[in-house]
Amino acid sequence: MTELTNILPSMATVLQVIMIAVKCVIIAGIVMNLPIILVWLERKVAGHIQQRPGPMRIGPHGLLQSVADGIKLIFKEDIIPSKADKIVFIIAPVIALIPAMTVFVTIPFGDSIMIPYINQEVTLYIADFNVAILFILAVGGISVYGFMLGGWASNSKYALLGSIRAAAQMISYEVAFSFAAIGVVMMTNSLSLVDIVHAQDGWFTNWNILYLPVGPVWFCIFFVAALAELNRIPFDMSEDEGSLAAGYQVEYSGMKFSLFALAEYSAMVSISVLCVIFFFGGWNAPIPGIPIVPPVLWLIGKTFVFIYFFMVIRFTLPRYRYDQLMTIGWKVLIPLSLVMILITGLMRILL
Amino acid sequence: MLIEYILFIIFAVIAIMSSLCVVTLRNPVHCAGYLIVTLLQVAALFLLCRSPFLAVVQVFIYVGAVLVLFLFVVLLIDVKKASMEIFKPKHRPLAYGVLAILLIETLVVIFVGGLEKIRLAAPGAEVKVETIGRELFTSYIFPFEIVSVVLLVAMVGAIVMAIDRRG
Amino acid sequence: MKPHVKKLDRQCDHTDAPSILKDIFNRAIFKDIIKGLSVTLKYNVSPVITLNYPDKEKWIPTARYRGVHTLNRDEEGRELCVACELCVKACPTGCITVVPEEDDTGRGIADRVAKIWTVNLVRCMFCGYCEDACPTTAVRLGRDYELACRDMSCAVLNRDQLLQKPEIPEDFEGGTRVSARMKKMRGGIKVIPDINKKRDNWW
Ligand code: SF4
Ligand code: SF4
Repeated sequence: MTELTNILPSMATVLQVIMIAVKCVIIAGIVMNLPIILVWLERKVAGHIQQRPGPMRIGPHGLLQSVADGIKLIFKEDIIPSKADKIVFIIAPVIALIPAMTVFVTIPFGDSIMIPYINQEVTLYIADFNVAILFILAVGGISVYGFMLGGWASNSKYALLGSIRAAAQMISYEVAFSFAAIGVVMMTNSLSLVDIVHAQDGWFTNWNILYLPVGPVWFCIFFVAALAELNRIPFDMSEDEGSLAAGYQVEYSGMKFSLFALAEYSAMVSISVLCVIFFFGGWNAPIPGIPIVPPVLWLIGKTFVFIYFFMVIRFTLPRYRYDQLMTIGWKVLIPLSLVMILITGLMRILL
Repeated sequence: MLIEYILFIIFAVIAIMSSLCVVTLRNPVHCAGYLIVTLLQVAALFLLCRSPFLAVVQVFIYVGAVLVLFLFVVLLIDVKKASMEIFKPKHRPLAYGVLAILLIETLVVIFVGGLEKIRLAAPGAEVKVETIGRELFTSYIFPFEIVSVVLLVAMVGAIVMAIDRRG
Repeated sequence: MKPHVKKLDRQCDHTDAPSILKDIFNRAIFKDIIKGLSVTLKYNVSPVITLNYPDKEKWIPTARYRGVHTLNRDEEGRELCVACELCVKACPTGCITVVPEEDDTGRGIADRVAKIWTVNLVRCMFCGYCEDACPTTAVRLGRDYELACRDMSCAVLNRDQLLQKPEIPEDFEGGTRVSARMKKMRGGIKVIPDINKKRDNWW
């Protein structure tokens, strides 16, 4: 009997597992459906920047446009090029999507809350690793394989060039991106995202962006590197419509194509959340003692500001040339971040 | 603990299968893909040993950086030609020799070293990042620095070779 | 590295120390990018200039616009056309057909009226020569421009269709956009303007 109880997990463990499963399902549901709104928002932002209304016809102010597009993409013929490497071609979009979703495991959306009826305290994150930052960097890095393998498997020159560019860009900016994360770790003394947010509790002057003088510089490094990691304009060399048609996704159609789009949008959401958590105090209100707005809404609101910012940037800046991209990565961001690590370290020791 | 043993067996079997695929498959891109799978499984094994830092660093360095470069080069190879080529027969005895030595070594470790002593880390003893850092910069500072110098030499060497070829 | 390549990399012509410093400073605070962002943000909140046609708005052209022909009547409701066939002669594409007939019942302003008056809109190029040639100002080019249809039947308009009163009154000053409502019909869609509800012209 004692052996059996040793083997069988206890009631508390089961409850914990159920809780984690429920949280996973909720977050996956939200993240999978968020692109529907984001695509609509992006088209609206693009439209209004160019003084046109954007999608208007399906639903009020075109809100259901992306639903219609999604349905269209699902029913579209799924073309696989005849000389493509079929298996790799099929799994590449999945490889791109899974890491983009997995990153959300560690992202905290708030502290713990009490759920009324079952009287149980629930944390608003799935897991609080003590190496969460490294986990995000590592897992986020995997999604480039989706782009690389997808481009290679399509057996097309444009796609191959796109995937090679994606790889080179990824390698170059991963370094600066990780350095920026190290900067955050140095400023807050922790690798866990929950602790990073707690280090910024209180007034908005505690936020990392106002950790003068290094905070704003770290933010700039992080943001530029994030733009490059996300493959968004001005660094979207790997899907450059001007010179590569659509880069690695040129041969993709139907649902596989939308999986790539889904991966890109969920990566954008996760990077925006990370910007908020790393530099803008996470779920903290700028002034403590505004109790009306719950912390989760603060996080979501700040995140949407960043998402909007990413979109405005997309319709403002032209694309950089490829050599300029490499120059910015290797000759500006990496040396700058090395110097900043030194300065931040000195500040931590001396102050 | 039963769950952990089951997980260990799953990860280990996948790791071994995929590493076999790495050496037997002809298409270099497929080989690189299986190498990724192998490394991810090894990272999972590290997690089972209560060492999340090592697991994450394994994924970060090997999967996130080294293999991207690897694949970057492999993508440029003419795959059809590369998959036609086979190992030259004269190297085969050497390869078998190395394989045999490795096999003997493993068997020695398992049977002489005592299989029952090898087990998953004790529960609760999670390796902290701070511990690793402190150890690296105090007890192991000398090997650590040597490894850094070796890497630096390799880097300088690569740059020197690149410059020579251009001139 | 060749000199001109170097210059392209640096992207600034001045070489004296203060202006280089200024250049570096401007880049460090992302001056150009902030300038660009401020322009796009300003446009982002500025009003939309798109004409929401055919859903909610419609463009009403000015009176001199050359749209689909209309055949007109005088104040007493008599047809102005005397079937003189001058428009047929004037038409460069030969798309008007007029067959005269005798009718003294007061249908037209003279005893001679058109038995058949058709215009083939597929051939017409809306040059307006027919309008100029007409001695009685019977034929005029109207303001209707929605000509798309699903088969050839609507391409040739006959006298009865042309004689109908245009939906926009003659004296309505055009050159504006007005609210409209889209109506789906079997033959296609039609956008019905509501000329009392004028919308702002953004320019
Ligand atoms: S507008 Fe010109 S082409 Fe058309 S019917 Fe009149 S004269 Fe002929
Ligand atoms: S429309 Fe004018 S020009 Fe043509 S037949 Fe009639 S009166 Fe003559």
